[in-house]
Amino acid sequence: MEKNKRREEALSIVWEDREKKIYGAQAVRDKISQKVEEDIFPELIREGYLAEERGLVKFTTSGEALAKDVIRRQRLAERLLVDVLEIGRGEMDSAACEFEHILSKEVVESICTLLGHPTECPHGLPIPRGECCAKAKDLLESIVIPLSKLEPGEAGRIVYVLTHEHPQLHKLMSLGIVPGARISVHQVSPSVVIQVEETQVALEEEIAKEVYIKRLRGTS
Amino acid sequence: MNIVLVGNPNVGKSVIFNAFTGSYVTVSNYPGTTVDVSKGIGKFGIQKFSVIDTPGINSLTPHSEDEKVTKDILSKSDIAAIVQVADSKNLKRSLALTLQLIELKIPMVLNLNMSDEARERGIRIDVKRLSEKLGIDVVRTVAITGDGIARLKDAVVRAKVPSPKIPDLNNAAFLKSSDLVTLNRRSRMVNSILGDCLNVSRPSKNKLSETIGRITTRPITGVPILFLVLIAMYLFVGKFAAGKGVDFFENTVFGKMINPFFINVINKYIGISLVRDFLIGDYGIITMAVTYAFAIIFPIVTAFFLFFGILEDSGYLPRLSVLSDRIFKTMGLNGRAILPMVLGLGCGTMATLTARILDTKKERILVTLLLTLAIPCSAQLGVVMGMLSSLSVKAFLLWVTILLAVMIMVGFGASKLVRGARSPFIQEIPPIRMPQLKNISIKTFARLKWYLKEAVPLFVLGTVLLFACDRLGLLKVIENIFSPLIVTLLGLPQKATEAFIIGFLRRDYGAAGLYALSKAGLLDSIQILVSLVVITLFVPCIAQFFVTIKERGLKTALVISAFVFVSAFLVGGILNFGLRYLLAQGISVI
Repeated sequence: MEKNKRREEALSIVWEDREKKIYGAQAVRDKISQKVEEDIFPELIREGYLAEERGLVKFTTSGEALAKDVIRRQRLAERLLVDVLEIGRGEMDSAACEFEHILSKEVVESICTLLGHPTECPHGLPIPRGECCAKAKDLLESIVIPLSKLEPGEAGRIVYVLTHEHPQLHKLMSLGIVPGARISVHQVSPSVVIQVEETQVALEEEIAKEVYIKRLRGTS
Repeated sequence: MNIVLVGNPNVGKSVIFNAFTGSYVTVSNYPGTTVDVSKGIGKFGIQKFSVIDTPGINSLTPHSEDEKVTKDILSKSDIAAIVQVADSKNLKRSLALTLQLIELKIPMVLNLNMSDEARERGIRIDVKRLSEKLGIDVVRTVAITGDGIARLKDAVVRAKVPSPKIPDLNNAAFLKSSDLVTLNRRSRMVNSILGDCLNVSRPSKNKLSETIGRITTRPITGVPILFLVLIAMYLFVGKFAAGKGVDFFENTVFGKMINPFFINVINKYIGISLVRDFLIGDYGIITMAVTYAFAIIFPIVTAFFLFFGILEDSGYLPRLSVLSDRIFKTMGLNGRAILPMVLGLGCGTMATLTARILDTKKERILVTLLLTLAIPCSAQLGVVMGMLSSLSVKAFLLWVTILLAVMIMVGFGASKLVRGARSPFIQEIPPIRMPQLKNISIKTFARLKWYLKEAVPLFVLGTVLLFACDRLGLLKVIENIFSPLIVTLLGLPQKATEAFIIGFLRRDYGAAGLYALSKAGLLDSIQILVSLVVITLFVPCIAQFFVTIKERGLKTALVISAFVFVSAFLVGGILNFGLRYLLAQGISVI
């Protein structure tokens, strides 16, 4: 493991332990040594990421910022793998582990926006908020949500369609349900009825959950 | 040389076909009306071409059966021209297909049909510019009024291999692959083409037809509307046609005029009693086959086809799929199955063909089974309504409830047994349109003609069969053999066996036989209900059986028929004993 990656890995362990209310410096140090196969705890303190006070471990400001960033990347990556690419849990853990280290800040922001600024990772742990999430609070309409979350009378623009099976996707696309298309919702129960351009289509809810849209404000 | 009509579903290909050839193939307002390929001859100027109508497709990538059929036709070499029929108000979808068709390098014309509807919605298309870009003739029409058909015919004769002026189209390869990237690329190209050919101004909001469309799919308004439609059908087909209409034809036209006339003439001029009986006896061709076909069935199917035509052309039927999706899910199907099922109320044979619009093999088998078992065809439905309206509305509701219950139970069970997958519910909903009197009358007329061609020979065949059995003394033997089933299990008079024998040929003929029995006062109310439930559930008519073999294979058809036969008698038996038990307790359900 290269140095950067080792450091990120170690800091994420400290963050996770803090979530579990484990602060004991020795326990945390052991866990880090085991995970990154090197005792880098003293090094992290020397570099000003961590501090030790009366046997308890603490983040410094810069350490916490870096850890938050790492955790955010890691958990967003997990969400991306599970939600969009539909990779199983077991596979996900190992894949996300590698994935998170190569994500640039811009890419992380795009992923976060694409996923609709999720608040939890697939394991149910909180995802630290990023700049984009704060912005999104002001601009609610930019959030990407499944079509099934729209109310009758609302409208949206399709961002992407999750692919389960090819023929299904093909059918949706040939009906004009393609990224970029503007849709409006007529009704949601017992089936979802939407209008795409001049085509009216009825869908079951499971399909409506797979069509992700950006909500459009105003005219329906 | 052939002219092939191609296009997205429900854009009016069949209307164009009828206009080109002067013949009639069924035209309705829902995607999937045409499930088979039709051929006809059309005159274009001084030349004659054979014209081929194809099922609607959204793409040339063969995913569905329809797409395979159409692709096969297009890969034949003797095509003079392709006419792509497009819905003017839905040009994006049409152009996605156009881009694939252009790659075939076959002479083609793009027909922008329903241009009146596009105009109403504020959609303006620059036909000239679109034509230049695509390198093909583009012709506007309103096919149902005949507007633009002459110009379209001219364009067909002149049709050339497309020479599009779109830079990237030459190596676009939309035909070969259908992966996500290609699909995306195609929809981007469509958007860029339409960018300066299409102009949409704000349409006038809240049109009446849209409002009607919306209230029919919302449960709170849609369910009451469905009941109103059913009541209207009951009154028109059951009360009016099967009651008054049949009365008039049977008692006045046939009873007082036609039959006495023939009986008179035949008695006078034909000396041989065998021939006489063959024509006007108990199982006489005139007194039984012709009377049943024209006096009982004909008024009923006429009324039904009229009513049904209005429903079809209004665009109401596909909207039922929204309301019924969840019910069909319990039967391993989805809301799309409502179309073949409702069409089955018209004719089970046609409906079995329509099962093709379903996506998976499992769904097609399930629908075929349910059509065979629980869906009465128009003629049968009318007879049943007529007989039950003489009892009470309660009896009619009971009959409907029993059928629905049997259907859902069997559907639920069969969906667990038949292997395969359910497909998700994705259904295009056509706009609500004002039915055109012209199309409805032509359609009803065409269906009646088809009905007479198909039914009357079988009615005659059934009568001849009964006549022969009667003469040879076989009828008594058969009645005795089936006596345990008919008399003991179902509690019906032995004579009802005849109705079930001819029911093997056509269920409506069997029902007409029961009708005659009940009119003669030979059936009490329990017997009427039991016999009607059994004849409704009974084996399909011969035509439907053959179509089932063709569509699903011999083995499946035989398994379905055997299952249906057994369940019909089982349900009938349970009903008979149940009702009689209740009656003995002093409870009268009917």
